[in-house]
Amino acid sequence: MKVLLVDDERKFATMLAKRLALRGIDIEPVFTGEDAIAKAKTQRYNVAILDVKMPGIGGIELERKLKELDPGMKIIFLTGHGSKNDFEAGSAEAAFYLAKPIQIDELLTILNEVAG
Amino acid sequence: MNTTIDFENNDDLAFFGKVNASISHELKNILAIISEAAGLLQDLTEMMSRGQKIELEMLKTCSQDIVEEIQRGFTTIKQMNKFSHSVDAPLKSVNIIEVIDLMINLAGFLSFASKIRFDLPQDGASTVSTCPFRLQNLVYHTLVFAFKSVGVDGKIEIAVHRETNGSARIAFSGLGILGKQPFPSEETKKIAKSIGAEIRMAENSQAIDILVPQYSKNSV
Repeated sequence: MKVLLVDDERKFATMLAKRLALRGIDIEPVFTGEDAIAKAKTQRYNVAILDVKMPGIGGIELERKLKELDPGMKIIFLTGHGSKNDFEAGSAEAAFYLAKPIQIDELLTILNEVAG
Repeated sequence: MNTTIDFENNDDLAFFGKVNASISHELKNILAIISEAAGLLQDLTEMMSRGQKIELEMLKTCSQDIVEEIQRGFTTIKQMNKFSHSVDAPLKSVNIIEVIDLMINLAGFLSFASKIRFDLPQDGASTVSTCPFRLQNLVYHTLVFAFKSVGVDGKIEIAVHRETNGSARIAFSGLGILGKQPFPSEETKKIAKSIGAEIRMAENSQAIDILVPQYSKNSV
């Protein structure tokens, strides 16, 4: 499973990527939506983990752009919103989401679920 | 001129709620980093206990990140506290520089915030007697408009000048043309009026002045 992690909080993305890599996940962190699109144009990712609120291209818009490049790519949203309801109000299409701070085991469960 | 802060007034309440929501989002981001750093330290400790080699540099980075994020958290909480206390008095002597500085920091939590150059006034005269909460509201809304006009890669400039009649002029310049929305909105005009302030937009829409009277009528 190849995973793309997109979050403008560099420290968060770097450390989460290290923790997932230690658990055997092939993951690449990037810090902007623009970089994520550039990566997705050159490599195929099974899953993208996207922060919802980012400067420039935010997570919701990025989901649409990544799906245009690869409709089969699965998306997991990371959000600082208080509750699932708050988040779903912003994106009705969100199938998987995790509220920050995240639990690594919960993320692994979702990753395995979306990757089938 | 009515400077009594009224939380039954939707504009006051909406502003208070909006700013607090963005502060809570910032604090969640900070806690998320601390949580990941602590989790990574735990992972590394477990690896060590299994006899696996770990990089010392990784331990140092994690510890340093925790220290830095705790400091960022304290700074954010200090700003939140200052903002919360701005509703304590409807009228008081206010240092405009401090108000702008606080609003720059709080508006900086917004995902669409752009860069700002804030020039400190040369004359040092920056105190007015006004409603601090409403002045903050006015500056914040102008910043939001300015951010949207230049985009995240843009840069706006802010300066404060003392006018001959004693009023303070907060000058926003370098505004762009992106996502142009009418400014000031009716709500913003209402806020300005409540503290006797005036908002002037340049004909080319690339500069905004907020004129704040030295004393509101209620204070003299």
